[in-house]
Amino acid sequence: MSNNMAKIAEERKAVEQLKLEVNIDRMKVSKAAADLLAFCEAHAKEDPMVTSVPSSENPFREKKLFCAIL
Amino acid sequence: MGELEQLRQEAELLKKQIEEARKGVADTTLAELTSGIEVVGRVQMKTRRTLRGHLAKIYALHWSTDSRLMVSASQDGKLIVWDTYTTNKVNAIPLRSSWVMTCAYAPSGNFVACGGLDNMCSIYNLKTRDGNVKVSRELTAHSGYLSCCRFLNDNEIITSSGDTTCAVWDIETGTQKTVFMGHTGDCMSLAVSPDLNLFISGACDWSAKLWDLRDGNCRQTFIGHESDINAICFFPSGNAICTGSDDATCKLYDLRSDQELTSYSQESIICGITSISMSRSGRMILAGYDDFNCNIWDTLKAERIGECSSEPGHSDLIMEPLSILLFQVWTDCSLPPLLLSGVLAGHDNRVSCIGVNEDGMAAATGSWDSFLKIWN
Repeated sequence: MSNNMAKIAEERKAVEQLKLEVNIDRMKVSKAAADLLAFCEAHAKEDPMVTSVPSSENPFREKKLFCAIL
Repeated sequence: MGELEQLRQEAELLKKQIEEARKGVADTTLAELTSGIEVVGRVQMKTRRTLRGHLAKIYALHWSTDSRLMVSASQDGKLIVWDTYTTNKVNAIPLRSSWVMTCAYAPSGNFVACGGLDNMCSIYNLKTRDGNVKVSRELTAHSGYLSCCRFLNDNEIITSSGDTTCAVWDIETGTQKTVFMGHTGDCMSLAVSPDLNLFISGACDWSAKLWDLRDGNCRQTFIGHESDINAICFFPSGNAICTGSDDATCKLYDLRSDQELTSYSQESIICGITSISMSRSGRMILAGYDDFNCNIWDTLKAERIGECSSEPGHSDLIMEPLSILLFQVWTDCSLPPLLLSGVLAGHDNRVSCIGVNEDGMAAATGSWDSFLKIWN
């Protein structure tokens, strides 16, 4: 009996949550996706994986070790 | 009709309404919008550093906000804080429980946290007066494993758990300030929005949820995956999220249009995604897979553009598989067949977790073979 009541309570909560979600404002995909594109483009230069940085500015560049035989 | 049946029908109706509302704003597709732009160039990443020190599989890693230090967690029962520039170990922290599944670095750099099958989130102070790292809090209340944790600041941390809830904690008092309920499966991963007002969670109920930190409510739920969501991250603008699932796909969901924009998959890829991270501009997605590969995707064109795999002929990589071989034989006497072929043929990096640092300069991968690698 109480198991059924628990299921009902759960389902009620799920319905209340769905009611909240149904009513949100939704932006047109054309605008939302265009904004993502614009963000990528605007930040491409700061993205070292998109715009490669010169070795001198790469803190992880290979450490070149030179050994001198004395 | 019983009340339960009525409620279920009401739920189905509401779900259909949400679907309709989403279709109603779908006036174009990401593919159409990006038809005019070129795929970003093929990415060739090289291993710049190999971090050696853990004795068992790496389960998690998290960069410090300084883009130089990083914390990693291994089931050898240790958290190690690394200086990735020099490969020095800044701290090696022994854990009370070795069943760790996640770790996090506080934005301030003062604390790290971890947790796992002990159901707790343990906070460690890195900056004690006497220089010894100590447990400063053990956050207990979850009734399931700790899958992920992220600091909001030195006194607040968000956790996700196998008990299907997420929570924000007041670290000082050790109590949960807010509990986020709604998922119907284990929560596997979480990520905080750039403005710190929202967070997202991915779960074994195949959905991702967007939560409001200020009022504790679930704002939106994203569906479409056909299996557990193991990994989740924000697009850097905060307006979109990226998920990785056991269904072998990653998906991009836009928050403001409330829907999936695209999926990242290939017929040849049949295994689940375990970890995910984006490059600084959001143009690339780096995803770690169950077969231990790491694929790099062009976010906008939805094409695979590269992978993190070691270049052949790298001499230290030839040695590594031999040392793994010896270690495996010694520890558990089981030798996965893959490993044998790995000694002979490949120099593959077996990725279990991945993360791009804040300045975007490098990606770190944690491996099944106990090493971490830094790539760019």
